[in-house]
Amino acid sequence: MQTRTNNSAREAILESIRSHLSLSKNSDAREEEIQHKTERGPGLVSTVITDATPVVDLFKASLEEVDGHCLIVHDETELVHALTEIMRNLRQTKLSSLRVAVSDSTEVRRLTELIDLDLDEVAVTPSVAEVFNFDIGISGAQAGIAETGTLLLDSSRERHRLVSLVPPVHIAILDASQIVTTLGEALSLMRKDEQVSPIVTLVTGPSRTADIELTLTVGVHGPQELYVVVRS
Amino acid sequence: MNHVTSETFDENARAALADSQLRGALRNVTSLFGQRRLAAARSLDNWEDLRNQARAIKDDVLLHLDSYLEQFVANAESRGAQFHWAQDAAEANAIICELASKRGARTIVKSKSMTTEETHLNTALEAADIQVVETDLGEYIIQLAEETPSHIIAPAIHKTKYQIAALFTQELGMPPTDDIAKLTSTARFTLRDRFAAADIGISGVNFGIAETGTILIVENEGNIRLTTSLPRVHIAVMGIEKIIPRFADADIFLKLLPRSGTGQRLTTYQSFITGTKTSHESEGPEELHVVLLDNGRSRMLAHPVTRQSLACIRCGACLNVCPVYQQIGGHAYGSVYPGPIGAVITPQLIGLEKTQQLPYASSLCGACREVCPVKIDIPRLLLHLRSEITENGSHVKRSASERAAFKLWRITMTKPWLYKLSARLGRIFQGVLIRKGKIGKVKGIARVATPLRAWTSNRDLRPIERQSFREVWRASLRKN
Repeated sequence: MQTRTNNSAREAILESIRSHLSLSKNSDAREEEIQHKTERGPGLVSTVITDATPVVDLFKASLEEVDGHCLIVHDETELVHALTEIMRNLRQTKLSSLRVAVSDSTEVRRLTELIDLDLDEVAVTPSVAEVFNFDIGISGAQAGIAETGTLLLDSSRERHRLVSLVPPVHIAILDASQIVTTLGEALSLMRKDEQVSPIVTLVTGPSRTADIELTLTVGVHGPQELYVVVRS
Repeated sequence: MNHVTSETFDENARAALADSQLRGALRNVTSLFGQRRLAAARSLDNWEDLRNQARAIKDDVLLHLDSYLEQFVANAESRGAQFHWAQDAAEANAIICELASKRGARTIVKSKSMTTEETHLNTALEAADIQVVETDLGEYIIQLAEETPSHIIAPAIHKTKYQIAALFTQELGMPPTDDIAKLTSTARFTLRDRFAAADIGISGVNFGIAETGTILIVENEGNIRLTTSLPRVHIAVMGIEKIIPRFADADIFLKLLPRSGTGQRLTTYQSFITGTKTSHESEGPEELHVVLLDNGRSRMLAHPVTRQSLACIRCGACLNVCPVYQQIGGHAYGSVYPGPIGAVITPQLIGLEKTQQLPYASSLCGACREVCPVKIDIPRLLLHLRSEITENGSHVKRSASERAAFKLWRITMTKPWLYKLSARLGRIFQGVLIRKGKIGKVKGIARVATPLRAWTSNRDLRPIERQSFREVWRASLRKN
């Protein structure tokens, strides 16, 4: 019953589109005469970035502009130290406990184990029912976009959909080699495997709203703080 | 709450003009968004190219909408999405209510969607005894207050923090505060429980990418990510015009939409959703349903002037620059879509009978056309709709004296001798009306001249010059 109604609705809508479009044929021809139509080729607009700033620095500057934190480290010792310091600070300032949810990336799990602090709890990809109990989510990212300070999270390559979203703090670990310059480049990365992953999310800074009196408030439904540690 | 009140536009507008708090809020939102938009557009040196390309892409989509829709549906279906076609609002709501009741859903979380505002989905769900919670902060506020959005981008902009605090105290038992950060975190914590408990998440769609069957949704708060990630079922409601052909086209629209809406380079989150998850272990919903809504859209394809209304990407830039919207705000338009774009879309969606005043709610200054990221010629659309109203005189109420005045005008303007004569007579008889060099509010016997009275009730009229252009011309010829 449902299917039959739906097929008929589908046909009715497509038919309505076709018949209304054919009605406009004459006026379309007239319109061509009235309006000088400029030749507008389809395809991508390539943004030319003339700035010689290295992508890592551009990424950091763009991310900080939207209230995200960016730390650049040069080796694993520095990286673990950075993670440790971020968490120590958070415990001193805003978090009463350090319950950490990590993605399923082996690298992220290994690095989390090296953190030199007593963590209250560490769980790998907690379920929807559990994930609300965590204070910090740690994940990797599949790319970074320098011109906007954006992380690209591809859920078919890492289970980070919930850990990057639900806990009040999100820490992402990114390699400098993963950073591209423009949004257009990131979009073509997403198409590299022909099939687009079921869910790809672009994240630019912490969650924000200005819905009350246009006053910018950082941290509404998504993370209130976003840290990106870039291994350069 | 949900009925259309465009018929009483004049009264609505007058009430809005008398509301000084509303006008202050409107001044803030429109000037802030307007300035940010300008700065963001100037930060790109190819802004005009982008607008042209975006419009060319949309024109192409609309001229081949049937085949692009079929391509979009086939690609998304091959990835596990299920499609439901709805010819009107009632069909869309029935489909969603049925999906919900078959799954025994009790709670639905919803992210902001103008399309579901258009179909009044919440009313339908509540009638079916399903609790539906708006999760966008602005939408949540107006849902608690039982109101409707007043701006496409900032739905609760007409309310002060004090009003919102009072509302939260009353509805959520929050201790009184005027701290906006506290209000925001109260909403965050209240809504977390709803997200955790929800059976279904309902979202809108910003773009449907035909080439890949991908749904693209943009936001700042994170509530769309939660709505589309946590519940077991995700229902996305989209107008049939939301298609873009290629994945790479997203680059152009993602440059235009946030810059035009809030002046951001990119909103905080973009979710690209392509079908359902591929393995059982993956995170995210098990079912993805897409409801494709026509509701009067396909009718707009019938003429190139009306067709361009379907290129709209709902950025709200035309609201912010409109001198009419700036004064009266969104509610006065009496329907879901306010501002210049609302004044052209609403009459086309629900018919001119109930919305006759909307195409006249404009000074035709053209600011909307200047800022539109997809170059919709809104003034031309307004004129098109006005001429439709005049041509189908059946539902136009014009007074006998106004009709007579225009008839007289037509006769006069088509006969040069009569024109000259009446100008000369006018020059003589206007003397009784002129006060301090202008014709102000007409009094006494002249009040019977209704059109003149209507004009001068709000503004002065310039008297006819002592010498006509012809006379000046001839006089200067004689001199040389």
